[in-house]
Amino acid sequence: MAQEHSKQAAHSHMHDFKGHIEAAEADLEYWRTKRLEPRLIQLHRRGVLTFYDLVRTAAACPAAPTTAVAHDIETRVRALEDGLDDYTRGINLISLDGPGYPSVIEDTRKERGDYDDFFRIAKPPHDGALEERIARLEHQLREYRHLLDVLTRALLDKGVLTAEMVEQQRAFLAGRGAWHGARIVARAWVDPAFKQALLTKGREAVRELNIPPGRLGKLGVAENTPTLHNIVVCTLCSCYPHDLLGDPPWWYRDDSYKERIVRDARGMLAERFNLHLADHVEVRVHDSTSDVRWMVLPCRPAGTDGWSEEQLARLVTIESLVGTAPAVDPAALPRGGC
Amino acid sequence: MPASHPTHRFRVGDPVQVERVNPTGNPRTPHYIRGKTGVVTVLHGSIVNPIDHRDVYPPLCSVLFRVRDVFGGSSDDKLSIDLHEDWLTPASPSDEPTLD
Repeated sequence: MAQEHSKQAAHSHMHDFKGHIEAAEADLEYWRTKRLEPRLIQLHRRGVLTFYDLVRTAAACPAAPTTAVAHDIETRVRALEDGLDDYTRGINLISLDGPGYPSVIEDTRKERGDYDDFFRIAKPPHDGALEERIARLEHQLREYRHLLDVLTRALLDKGVLTAEMVEQQRAFLAGRGAWHGARIVARAWVDPAFKQALLTKGREAVRELNIPPGRLGKLGVAENTPTLHNIVVCTLCSCYPHDLLGDPPWWYRDDSYKERIVRDARGMLAERFNLHLADHVEVRVHDSTSDVRWMVLPCRPAGTDGWSEEQLARLVTIESLVGTAPAVDPAALPRGGC
Repeated sequence: MPASHPTHRFRVGDPVQVERVNPTGNPRTPHYIRGKTGVVTVLHGSIVNPIDHRDVYPPLCSVLFRVRDVFGGSSDDKLSIDLHEDWLTPASPSDEPTLD
């Protein structure tokens, strides 16, 4: 894998602004149409929090002042991506089930226009030159960030959520299953017998780590090697061993990922995930039916000889568990990080 | 992984073709793979999965397909799809893809 890592390091500068902008546009739209707006409408319809509550709160909760716009494109794109991360985290933070109004994710075929174009959710235009698209995204993100802040404030003011609930959710999001996945991978890197058990017995093997094995179907483990790179998708729904590993990255549920990854995994890895695989590495995409839920066992990064399991586990990201990224290269860690 | 399995009709290495239509089968079989030919790589046995479906489906196999056999193009990359055996028929030798 050393070869891939050095190749990847060479791409640490952004080289495909258009790809990043397209991804950001898709991301922003997904979170708006599938996660934020359905939640607003649901809360309103249930009488939990009305649109008028939002108007009232907004009067006391102005938008953050616009910050000075950087001149170079790369800085602006990175700032957009950071803002988007923050925005999606904010939505997850308040996506809590309440009595009679479970947290909704709207993702219906009807809204995709599968049956009738009339019902397709309206999409804002994404045309124009790169700078226009960046400016439009900056503007939209600022607006939706404000809406999210108002919604969060209103939920807290009205007592629908309490600060304790939000704090609990923050802790849950930060520590949930992903750390289990990281510990499982780290153990497999250092203990060949455990790895063998994991590959053949799946869930049952994780008991020795004192991790609850969960019970959603069978756990499939696809092992990466220097010549084989595995990726997981569920094109028909979003099957993932989430009872064991927590939630997959949010885009795992997104159609743009599902549709392209099975047809052109190599292209998508390069363009959307900045993962450039050498030609001699075979790409294998696992599309799961819910009976077997797959995770990727990434390659152990070079330069980690003698590392403890805990140190190794910190190299495992949720992206590496679905195969859109390798485990973190220790050379890329901040000094003193491990 | 054992080469044969007491409950399985197929063995690892068997070329198989996916049925185009199977009204009683698991509806979660992806549409794009129907009618395509691949090779059995893993036998999973019969999986009891009461959370996702009430009845136990026939034994499940992982089947490996070439992306180019499924979507055209020239890619050497592969797709691994989990398919229940009622979706599979033995492929004739001439259909057999050579998976290296």
